[in-house]
Parts: sequence; C-alpha cells; structure tokens
Amino acid sequence: MTDKRSLVSIVDDDESVRESLPDLLRLFGFAAEAFSSAEAFLASDVVSETSCLLLDIAMPGMSGPDLQQELTRRRQTIPIVFITGLVDGSVRPHLLARGAVDCLIKPFSEAALLDAVRAALRRPYSEQVTAT
Amino acid sequence: MTAQSATLNGGWADFRAVSGDDAAANTAATDLINILDTIEVPIVVLRCDLMIAGFNKAAADVLRLSLSDIGRASRDISVLAGLPGLEEQCSRVIASGEESQADFRDGDKWFVMRISRYPQGERQVTGAVLTFTNVTAFRECIDQVIYERECAKAILNTVADPIAVLDADQRIHSGNRAFYTLFLELASLRTKLKAILAGTSAFQPVEVDHVFPGEGRRTLILDARPLSLPGHSERRILVTFKDITTRKQTAAASGLRAIAERKEELRRSEAFLAEAQRLSLTGSFYWRVPTDEIAWSEQLYRIFGIDRGALVTPELIGSRVHPEDIPLLHDIIERARGAGTDFECEYRLQMPDQSVKYLHMVAHGTRDEDGRLEYIGAVQDVTARRLSEQALGKAQSELAHVVRATALSALTASIAHEVNQPLSGIITNASTCLRMLAADPPDVAGARETARRTIRDGNRASDVIARVRALFTKKESAIEAVDLNEVTREVMALSLSDLQRNRVVLQLELAEDLPAVTGDRIQLQQVILNLLRNASDAMVDVHDRPRQLLVRTEREDGGRVRVSVRDAGVGVDAHNVDKLLDAFYTTKTDGMGIGLSISRSIIERHHGRLWAEANDGPGATFAFSIPSGPASVPDSAPR
Repeated sequence: MTDKRSLVSIVDDDESVRESLPDLLRLFGFAAEAFSSAEAFLASDVVSETSCLLLDIAMPGMSGPDLQQELTRRRQTIPIVFITGLVDGSVRPHLLARGAVDCLIKPFSEAALLDAVRAALRRPYSEQVTAT
Repeated sequence: MTAQSATLNGGWADFRAVSGDDAAANTAATDLINILDTIEVPIVVLRCDLMIAGFNKAAADVLRLSLSDIGRASRDISVLAGLPGLEEQCSRVIASGEESQADFRDGDKWFVMRISRYPQGERQVTGAVLTFTNVTAFRECIDQVIYERECAKAILNTVADPIAVLDADQRIHSGNRAFYTLFLELASLRTKLKAILAGTSAFQPVEVDHVFPGEGRRTLILDARPLSLPGHSERRILVTFKDITTRKQTAAASGLRAIAERKEELRRSEAFLAEAQRLSLTGSFYWRVPTDEIAWSEQLYRIFGIDRGALVTPELIGSRVHPEDIPLLHDIIERARGAGTDFECEYRLQMPDQSVKYLHMVAHGTRDEDGRLEYIGAVQDVTARRLSEQALGKAQSELAHVVRATALSALTASIAHEVNQPLSGIITNASTCLRMLAADPPDVAGARETARRTIRDGNRASDVIARVRALFTKKESAIEAVDLNEVTREVMALSLSDLQRNRVVLQLELAEDLPAVTGDRIQLQQVILNLLRNASDAMVDVHDRPRQLLVRTEREDGGRVRVSVRDAGVGVDAHNVDKLLDAFYTTKTDGMGIGLSISRSIIERHHGRLWAEANDGPGATFAFSIPSGPASVPDSAPR
C-alpha cells in the first residue's frame, strides 16, 4: 500500500471495540490508535496524522456526529467511517450526506471494514484535488 | 185682664146684653168672659145664622177679629175664608149636634178646628162654637218622626241584607227592599220561618238553605230577636238574613283550591320521586317479612322489565334473577328474614332477551308497633357502571399493552445496540484470531488473547439476553419479592445507550439495605423505564446545561420504598402536575401520554402513589413510593 503505514484512529466508548479493532487493523497493515471518547481524541496529538477515523455515533458527552462537526470546523478533513450498534438505519444517509465515507452497522465483517477503510484512504486526495 | 182695647179684647157684647141688670148675673158673665179671654185657645161663637156672636181674646189675636166683626157673617172673616165649606160644616153640626173637625193653617201655625153645637138654655140651639187648637208643635213633631222614619227606611233599603219584621203569627209585617227583592215568594219562607222560629225564645243564628225562584239555591244566616216597642203590647220579631252564598262558594272554592294545590303538590313530589328514580335508575321496594308482601315502585318494575302493577312474589323475582346469583340472593334474603338487620348486596338479572343487568340493593329493616319485620329498600341498576368499569379495565389493559409495545419498540433498538456491541467485538476478535493463527509463524499468544476476548464478549452478549429475558419472558402479574435497586439497575442497563444517545448524564444513588417490596417485577420495571424515558425526553431541548438525570432509591418512613427520577428538563407546570398523570394528556408532541397514567395505576395497584413535582432548580422529579414487605401485594388485575 504505502511506505508509511496509514494511521487509523478509533473512537468508541465500548471497550471490546477498542480492544479488538486495533489488532485486526494492524494485521491488515495499518497503524491503529483507540480512544474512548471524542474529547480524548481531540486532546491527542494524532488528529492531524490520522488518515481514517472509525467513529462511534452514540457516546456519552460528545457524540460521533459532534466530533465530525468539530473536525470540519477545525478544517481537519479526516475521512470518517462511522461504526454504530444502532439498528436504526435512518441516520446513515444523513451521515453520508455530511461527508462520511461509510457507516458500518455493528457487528460488521472484516471485509466490510477493510473496504470502508480503503475507501477512506483513497478519499482525501480526490477531495483535496477538487478543493484546490 | 180687662177689656181695654177693642181690637185686642174678646167681643162678648151679646152675652153682656143678655145678662141685663142682674148684678149677680152680670158678675157671672164678666167672670166667664174674663176666663174665656184667658184661655189661649181661640174660641168663636157663631149664631144659628152663622153670624159671629162672640169671640175670646185669643180668637181676636189669632183670627184678627175686632168688636166690629160681631154680627158679621163668618165667611166674611178673611182668616176663616180660607176654610172651604165652613158654613156647611157648621150648619151640619148645628143640625146634627155631632162635632166636626178640620185642619186650619194660618201662616206657619197649624190648628185643629173643632166645631161643636152651642146649646143655650135647655133645648134651643143657638149656634156653633169653633175652637182652634194650636197643633203646630205637634205637627212639627210628626214631621220630624216622618222624616226620621223615611231616613230609617232609606237606610234599611240600602242595606244589602234582607231585614224583616214579623208579627206574633210570623206574618211579614214589613221588610226592607233587599228582603222583598230576595223573597219574591213569601209563602214558602213563612213556612220555613215558622218551622225555624217555633218555640225558640233564645235564638241563635241558623244557616238556612233556600231555593229562590230565579236565584237558585242560596245560603242565608238567619238571625231573629224580639222587638220591644214601647207602648206596644204586640210582640214582633226582627228577622235579619245574611246571604253567605258567595262567601260559602268562595270558601268552598278556596277549600277546593287548597285541596287541589295539596294534591298538585303531592302529585308533583310523586312525579319528582318517580323522575328521580327513573333518572337514577333506582327503584324502591317494601317487604313485609311475615306475609311476604312486597310492593315495588314504578321504576323497580321497569328495572325488572315486568308490567307495572303485577303482583310481586318471590317466584316472580326469582324468574328474573340470574341463575348464578339465585343462591346468593336466597341466602341474603333468608338471613334478612331472621336478623332484621340492614343488608346490602349486588346481584344480576337475566332478562328474557338474555341481557344481564347488574343491580345494587340496599335495604333497611324496621319493626312496626306489633314487632313485625319490614324492609324498605332501594335497588339501583348499576349495569352501565359495571359495564363501563369492565370496559375501563379492558381499555386499561389494552393501554398497558400499547405502552408495553411502545416501550418494547424503543427497547428493541436499545437491546440491539447492547447486543451488537459485544457481537461486534466477537466477530472482530474472531477475525483477528483466525488471522493470527494463519500467520507464519502463527501468533498463538495473540490468538489466545483474542479468543479470550471473544469469550468475554460472548458472555457480555449473553448477559444482555438474560436481562432482556428477565424483562420480557415473565407473564403478567407474577407477584414476588422485588428488590427495587436491582430493578432500577436492570432498567438502567437496558436504557443506558438510549440515554447516552440523548447525551444524558446519568447519576445513580441507590440506597443500601433497601427492603424488598412485593409486587410485579415487570410492571415495576415498566414504571421506572417510563420515568427514565420521560426524563430523557424532557431534556431533549436542553442545550445550555448538562442533561443531568438522577435516579435515586431510598427508604421512607413507614417502611416504604421510594424511587425518584430527577431531570433537568423543561420542568412541569404546577397546574399540569395532576393532568400529567391523566391518560392521554401529554406535553410531548410525539408522545402517547398514557405512560404516566398507566404507571400511576400500576403503582396504585401496589398500594403506592406516584407523583410529580417541580424542582427547585430546572426540571422536575417524578417519584413513586410503595410499601415494603409482604403487605404490598397488589390487587388482582382489573375486573
């Protein structure tokens, strides 16, 4: 893929997700960092280095969409893949319309995860091209 | 008196002349003349040829005679000229010797003139003597009497009541106009009066009915009293009549009116009662126990659907009572028969069309003076109430079902989330594990770690399922000892993601050593779940402060347990607090509004109460408290 391993950051309040996803992503060859809240992610020093953000929707405090807004405000155009345990599919189109790359419904397969992350990693260039 | 003035003295020349020289005779004549002149009654003596022979002084004054009038014809005397037929009268008197009288008026003076024969010597009639008795005062007196009598007559005639005077034989002597007007036909009255007055000395007024021609029957009060007439020995009776026909008719009419009014009043109050019975669907009855005599009000006939007036027998009643209730009613009646105490019961009727009526009967027992037992009672048709209670119970359970379904749908999302989290972990871990094992060399340690995590996540999912099963697999009304802390924790666990999604900051304060309550675990879970959802919903529009939610359990005085849910939401209007708990009242645009109502009925069935109050700060607190221990067994499901 790339010389430098792309950093995939994970923000989810669920511990099992934070434990399991980074290992799988690393096996796929990505660098991975997990955060238990949006606030913790924003406070970290990896925001600008993150190539893809796997973001939970429902969290205490700042929610996934809140973080998305905040990043847009900060002009941090990180491709976002939402991951959610909600069966309610109605939020998905809404989130995609606001620029999310994908929205994965838990539980999701490793193939679906991989597709979404790859799509996210392709995204910034095209966006940047159109932006400049 | 001496004769000094010719005009003023009497004229008695002839009488003196007759006396001659006889001194004694002269003296006697002079004495006589003097006596005559002193008499105030005018006296004129006429000769047979009706010439004036002499007159006394009074005659000279009254008839204005002078001496020169002696020997003149009486008709030539101006004063006497006004008496027609005087000479003929005098001649007749002279001839017959019978006295004659005539009225004579001179100005305002009235006289009675008497003509008598004047005898001179033994046999020879020489003329007539005219005496004039002044009756002016007497006439005035009579006039006065006549006037008074006319006045009295006029007064009597204006009196409307008949008055009559009877003679001793009860013949009508006189009567006033009213009397004669009324008693056109006197014969029958006389008979009646005779009968009434016979032998009555002390008379009391009597009421007499009399049929008058043209007037019809009239009622009179007849009063009578003896008239004492001074100087009259004849016994007379004054009879007065008072016509009281009109008064009697008026009295009778007003009496009739009073009776009619009382009747009307009675009729009205009967109508009132009947209408009240009809409206309240309440009939009344009377039961004389020893004879089994039963009387029903109109409404009771209507309730039983039996023709009004039918003889009420125990058999008749039995024919309508619902077969299942006959033993009950029989039992009650037999007990009432013996005890004589008040009784109250509910029973059903089965009508000929198979419809069922619910009746509520209340009866009060009394004993009459002979100690016989009687019951007076009321029977109310409470069918509508029973049916609506049943309908209400049904509606309530339907509502409960709806609420449950609604809650279930919300919970489904919540549960899915809860289960999907560990499932997601399981799948990811399993994928990782497979990849680690497939690597060359295999990362066995990593695989072991991920497999371990897989098991943990599997257990987590299993826990969620167990909680869901606890929430939904139990059937209705399973009464058991319930730890409200545990119930609260379970509900919390299930609602957590929902609450998180709404960015609710949850705080739990569960009391230690909370006593168990007895009740339906699922229903109590529902209540808490409902309160949580309400609290969460109330804070949806809060953006300027933390959406703080405090759930607290605590012991209350009197062995009660309280669960309160305090939010920081829009709060409740003090006026709406009661309404909030009513079914279908909602302040939420998308809410069903029945959750709180159902919650309250659940809590009330647990002998508890549910209330809402505004916080000191923002938001509201909804809380319930129920007794702890085995005493709090809830009522059975609604009838």
